[in-house]
Amino acid sequence: MALTLTCPVCGKRNGYEFRYGGEDKGPRPAEAGLTPRAWCDYVHMNKCTAGVQKEWWFHRDGCGSWFTTWRDTTNNLEVEQPEASK
Amino acid sequence: MFWKSKPLWGDKTRLKSSYDAVIIGGGLHGLATAYYLAKEHGITDVAIIEKRFIGFGGAGRNTAIVRANQRTQYNVPLYKEALDLWPVLTKELDYNLMFNNCGNLNLMHSEAAMKAARMTIATAQFHGVESHLIDAKEAKEMVPALNISEDITFPIHGAMYHPPGGIVRHDAVVWGLAKGCAKHGVQIHQQTEATAIHTEGGKITGVETSRGRIHTPRVLVSAGGYSAGIIHHMLGIKLPISVLTIQAMVTQPLKPILNHVVSSGAYHCYANQTLKGEIATGAHMDQWPNYTTQNTAHYIKHQAEALSDWLPCLRGVKFMRIWGGLADMTPDMAPIMDGNDPIEGFYMDCGWGYFGFKSCSAVGKYMSEYMATGNCPDMLKPFNLRRYENHQLMGETAALVSYTPDN
Ligand SMILES: Cc1cc2nc3c(=O)[nH]c(=O)nc-3n(C[C@H](O)[C@H](O)[C@H](O)COP(=O)(O)OP(=O)(O)OC[C@H]3O[C@@H](n4cnc5c(N)ncnc54)[C@H](O)[C@@H]3O)c2cc1C
Ligand SMILES: [Zn+2]
Repeated sequence: MALTLTCPVCGKRNGYEFRYGGEDKGPRPAEAGLTPRAWCDYVHMNKCTAGVQKEWWFHRDGCGSWFTTWRDTTNNLEVEQPEASK
Repeated sequence: MFWKSKPLWGDKTRLKSSYDAVIIGGGLHGLATAYYLAKEHGITDVAIIEKRFIGFGGAGRNTAIVRANQRTQYNVPLYKEALDLWPVLTKELDYNLMFNNCGNLNLMHSEAAMKAARMTIATAQFHGVESHLIDAKEAKEMVPALNISEDITFPIHGAMYHPPGGIVRHDAVVWGLAKGCAKHGVQIHQQTEATAIHTEGGKITGVETSRGRIHTPRVLVSAGGYSAGIIHHMLGIKLPISVLTIQAMVTQPLKPILNHVVSSGAYHCYANQTLKGEIATGAHMDQWPNYTTQNTAHYIKHQAEALSDWLPCLRGVKFMRIWGGLADMTPDMAPIMDGNDPIEGFYMDCGWGYFGFKSCSAVGKYMSEYMATGNCPDMLKPFNLRRYENHQLMGETAALVSYTPDN
């Protein structure tokens, strides 16, 4: 299904211009005391939400920005940041 | 009603309040596991809980390709056993699964790809699976429709030929297994959605469904593309999975022109001719996770371009139907089969991406053993979830087109 994303620099653009950068997992864990499990969690593990999720995108065929957005994975539409997450 | 017939999988039964085992998902893997639980292990008090109808998921949407020429020594034996089981199951279930043993041809478009194919072939041969390397001319002799000229986008250097593979009718597998399940006493509950999984003191105690609560000490989640979301939502366990919509299509029926399953990694395209004459061709995956199962104009264009390049006789042929399903992809392109960790009685069988049809027979056999004994059979040990934190990812990415958003 088609996808339109809003780049903070370029505005609304065709989804194929972007590269998906993964679910937002918060800041990269600190090196000190890092366990294989915590690292694996950060690198590989996903929630696979069927619904609204916060995620990273890279405007590959555009300005080169990395940004986060909220999208409903059941219909590919961008949504406002949900109240609950503010 | 003018006509009354009993469904193959028995009369509708009442959902009981307890079972020895509950299986979430009436797809290929759930049905196969239930079948072997009842038939091989005598555990017949089993309920399959299916949100929609059996075959609603990947089971009824896949392009039915079967083969056993995977890349690693852990995967090949499992898929080989699955391939060997089609004729056995056809007899055992007394149901024609229409195994068309036409062989698979994987096109290679560079010398580097030919070298990679040599390694994959060596692995197959080591495991007693027939697989050969052939050059472009031999490929052309086998498939005269192939374009082996040098002026196409990805000229063909040769191919990996795997005679034991082919196509199995996917609906027949669903119906046949359902029939086998019912015969051995398994209950199939359609229109019943699992909404929660209950645990107590680190053990499974039951499943909440849209039709009431069930007590059970064992649960298998085999909900295809929905598994990872369900497992996180219901148990808080995260998995290394990305769920992507994958699309496939068929053309109008044609006279026989393709006698093999032909696939190309470089073109992201495979094609075979169905018994009805249509060219079934896939598959395209969205590059971002989503549960839409919707089609894209992007894919139709891609497929038309690819096919007119390497199968130019299809130029002008019309696509007749197009559809989508879900593929749950892992970073190493191998599935996750695990149990009793970290919850006793909890089993999962997911991450099957676009290769969960060809494996379902053997997986059912081994997952049922796992669930019946509580011990992981040797065959399934390498597929545990902890391999990711132990940096023991499998090398299947080398053999397949890797579409995951991780790449
Ligand atoms: C277009 C396409 C082409 C493919 N081509 C091939 C191929 O050529 N070869 C191959 O080997 N594989 C192929 N696959 C992959 C294969 O179809 C899947 O890997 C396989 O179907 C997985 O089987 P499963 O039993 O795990 O899940 P599914 O068959 O998807 O079944 C899961 C079931 O779980 C149910 N469910 C979901 N949530 C719940 C809930 N909460 N409660 C109850 N039930 C629930 C769903 O309704 C569904 O019926 C393809 C897939 C697609 C989509
Ligand atoms: Zn931009």
